Formats: sequence, C-alpha cells, structure tokens
Amino acid sequence: MEFDIPTWIKVGAYAGSGLAIGLGAIGAAIGEGYTAAQATAAISRNPARSGEIFKSMLVGQAIAESASIFALVVAMVLLFTTFQSDSFIMVWAVLASGLCMGLGAIGAGIGAGFPAAAACEGIGRQPGISGRLTTNMLIGSAVCQTPSIFALVIAFILLFTGLDNNPLSPTWAAVLGAGLATGLSAIGAGLGSGLVAASSCEGISRQPTSATVMTNSMLLGQAITQTTAIYGLLISFILLFKAHPATESLAPAMALLGSGLCMGIGGIGPGIGEGFTAQAAVRWMAREKDSIGDLTRTMLIGMAVAESTGIYAMVISLILIFVI
Amino acid sequence: MEDLGKISQLVIDIAGYQLVFNLKAMLMTWVVILLLLLFGWACASRRAMVPTRFQVLGELLVSKLYELTEDAMGKTLARTYAPMICALFMFLLLCNWIGIIPHLEEPTKDLNTPLSLGLMGFAIAHYVGIKTKGFKAYIKEYFQPMFFMMPLNLIGELAKVVSISFRLFGNIMGGSIIILVVSYLTYDILFPPFLNAFFGFFVGAIQAFVFTMLTIVYIATQAK
Repeated sequence: MEFDIPTWIKVGAYAGSGLAIGLGAIGAAIGEGYTAAQATAAISRNPARSGEIFKSMLVGQAIAESASIFALVVAMVLLFTTFQSDSFIMVWAVLASGLCMGLGAIGAGIGAGFPAAAACEGIGRQPGISGRLTTNMLIGSAVCQTPSIFALVIAFILLFTGLDNNPLSPTWAAVLGAGLATGLSAIGAGLGSGLVAASSCEGISRQPTSATVMTNSMLLGQAITQTTAIYGLLISFILLFKAHPATESLAPAMALLGSGLCMGIGGIGPGIGEGFTAQAAVRWMAREKDSIGDLTRTMLIGMAVAESTGIYAMVISLILIFVI
Repeated sequence: MEDLGKISQLVIDIAGYQLVFNLKAMLMTWVVILLLLLFGWACASRRAMVPTRFQVLGELLVSKLYELTEDAMGKTLARTYAPMICALFMFLLLCNWIGIIPHLEEPTKDLNTPLSLGLMGFAIAHYVGIKTKGFKAYIKEYFQPMFFMMPLNLIGELAKVVSISFRLFGNIMGGSIIILVVSYLTYDILFPPFLNAFFGFFVGAIQAFVFTMLTIVYIATQAK
C-alpha cells in the first residue's frame, strides 16, 4: 500500500465529504421537524385552513433545507473532483472545506425552521394575511441562510484557490483554522437570526397592520445578529490570504489554528444571545406600537453589549495571527 | 469552474507604488451608473399629473425610502440625508441585479465596492455625531461606561464597517459561486434560472435593503 500525496488528498476529500453532509444534515432535519410539528398544531386549531398551512409548511421546509443542499453540493464536489496538487496543504484544504460547510449548515438549518413554524402557526391564527406572512417568512429564512453562504464561500475558496506555493508549515494550520472560524461561528448566527424571524412572523399574525415595520425591524435584528459570523469570515480571509512565513516550529502553526478556533467558538454565543435580544424586541414591537423607537434603540444597545464577547474573541484571534 | 475567484487587474507602477485597478468591477460600476442616470431621466423627463410608468416607479422608490429615513432620523436630518440614502439603495440594488445578465458581473462581488460604501457611511455617521453632539460629548461617548472601555468601543465602531461591507460582499460572492458551481454540475440544465431568481433578485434586493437600513441606523444612533 502506497501513501503518496494524491492518495492522501483522496483520503482527505472522502473524510471531508462525509463530514460536510453528515454535519450538514443535523440542522435542516431539526428545523424541518420543528416546522412540521408547529404545522400540525396549527391545523388542529384551525382545520379549515389545512391546505394553506400545509403549503406554507412545505415552502418553509424547502428553504430550511437549502443549507443542507449547500453541504450536499460541497460533498459531491469533494467526491467527484480530482484535485491536482503536489503539496500536503491540499489534504488539509479538502478536509477543512468539508468541515467548514458541515458546521456552517447546522445553525442555518435549525434557524430557518423557526420562522417557517411561526408562519404556519400565524396562518392558523390569522388566515386573512397568509400572503404577507409567507413573504415575510421567505425573507426571514433567506437571511438566515447568510452564515451558511459564508461557509460555502470559504469552502470553495479552500478548494479552488491554489495555496500550494505557500510553505506547508504553518499553512496547513491556517487552512484548518480558516475552515473552523467560519464554520463554527455560523452556528450561533444562523440559530439566532432564526429566532428573530420567528418572532417577526408571530408579530405580523398578531398585528397585521404593522407588517412593514415588523419586516424592517426583523431585517435589522437579523443583520446585527449575524455580525459575529462576519467576524469569522474576516478571520478566515486573513488566515487564507496573509503570507505566513515558513517555520520549522509547531508554535506559529498552533497560533493560527488557535486563532480560527477562538473566533469560531467565540462567535457562537453572541449569535444566539443577540438573537434572543432581537427576538424579544421584535415581539414587543408588535404589541406596543407606540414605542417602536425606544424598543429599537434598546435592542441596538443591548445587542452591542451582547456582542462585546465576540469582539474579545476577534481581538484575541487577530493577536494570535499578527503578534505571535 | 476555472474562472472561480479570478479578477482581471491592471497594475501600474508610479514612483515605487503599485496601483491596482480591478477593471471589470470598475467597468460594471460605470454601467450601473449609466443605467441609473437613464432611469432617472426616464422618471423625471416627462413629469405630469397623470404619471408615466417610470414616474410612478421613481416616486414610489423615493417616497418609501424618504419615509424610512424620516422614521429613524427625524425630519431635519432626513431632509439632508434621505437623497443620499435613496441613491445608495438604488445603486446597490442595480449592482446586485446586474449579474443576472450573462457576461456582466456584480460590482458588489468585489470587496472594494462594499468596503468603500461602508467607509462612506461610517464617515457620514461620525460627522453627524460630531455635528449634533459637539466634539466633547462625541469623544466622551467612547469612555462610556468606564474609561478603560475606550479601546473596545473603538474596535466596536471599526467592526461596524467590517461587518456591513463583508455582509454584502459575502452574500453576493456566495450567490455567484453557488450559481457557477451548480450550473457546472448540472451542465446548465434546468437550475440556473431559479438560482438566478433566488440569489440574484431576491437575496440581492434583501441585501441592498439591509445595507441601506444599517447605514440609516448607524447615522441615527450617532445623532442621538
């Protein structure tokens, strides 16, 4: 048995492919199941509208599945493309690519299930505005996919930009770190922005007259909830495109890997936390129409404070890259 | 698949510095500007009490965006900044949509476009902050709630520019990668129109709106 570079690349690609769709299947399945559960509840409350609720459930589930479909695409590309390379960096790149997409699909899958569920419930409660609710749900779940799109970008950059001319040590660690930073930080952002979209759907069904305000504040809340995923994307870009000097020692390589892990794990909490903040703010905006301005201001400040831990993580990962 | 991540660049050496121009992004930006000028001309050239189709569209866009700005910033600030917000939204919308046409490319796919627009919003927001609160109160805000929080507040402000521009860039770039890869895998059969409709029209419109919204909010929070 011979272990040359092409064989190792194949090994990496198969492992990465498995990780991509294996991890990527977690989120969408949970999200879709939750949607179906709420849809059955809604139908039992309002059986006359079962057709509409069923349709909305299917549409919502289809959107919730898109993150998993991205993971499937990456897995297929990993399986059926022959990667020409004469460097061990490619082995790490294919593995990191699968890991990044797999992890990145978890949050978006679960998150996109929430608005779909809330829309089904809302149609059961307020059948008159099912059109507006479906539109809002589509917008909300499309924005939930943003973190998984970031993961996809990094996954494809890892596969198709030639990093082979860089020194093996520490580039292998930078590549792995880049995958982990975007993949892990996407979990929290996807979940959190799903919560926001869900409460906006609920708000519209309670207070159909303020539908436009609900959609606008939902977009604002979701956009800010996803900030830490964007920090993860930034760290990945820096890790991939900064010229790392060649080294014999393991320490600089570990610093780069640590930087990716630090931003990735550090990004999970703020994503979910800011999701809670915006969820509550949007929910109360629907009930208390007169104080939307106050609520928006409190939401923005609360989210900025909740995000500070994500900024600490970013500062440490930048120090790990540039100072150490 | 080979053209994934390729950028056509023009590099000029001037006095030891390398000036790099991303030709396609610049060309596409000019195409967008010309199209917008054309749209503006079509909207405003034959104004009448019974409006033409273009006039209705233009009035709708401007009045909705004006309302949005006024809700967040208040009447006086909106008078100054609403035209900029309208221009920003229409520019971004057309930038994100233009990639649907084959052989054309979104200027927003190049990080330089969102980053410069983000920096513009940042500069305007802080100008408004200094102007409405006065320089002393503006500086004092950085030392809230404790004086040693200053570096983190500063990083937090700078991170806003990063997040607003990378959000747009990542989404548009991601969409175009997905379209490219899926079209390649399916030999351009069946999928590309739906993908273009979703990532081009739908996500493009949402992200243009989100960018505009965040710019408004950043300006409004500085003014408070």
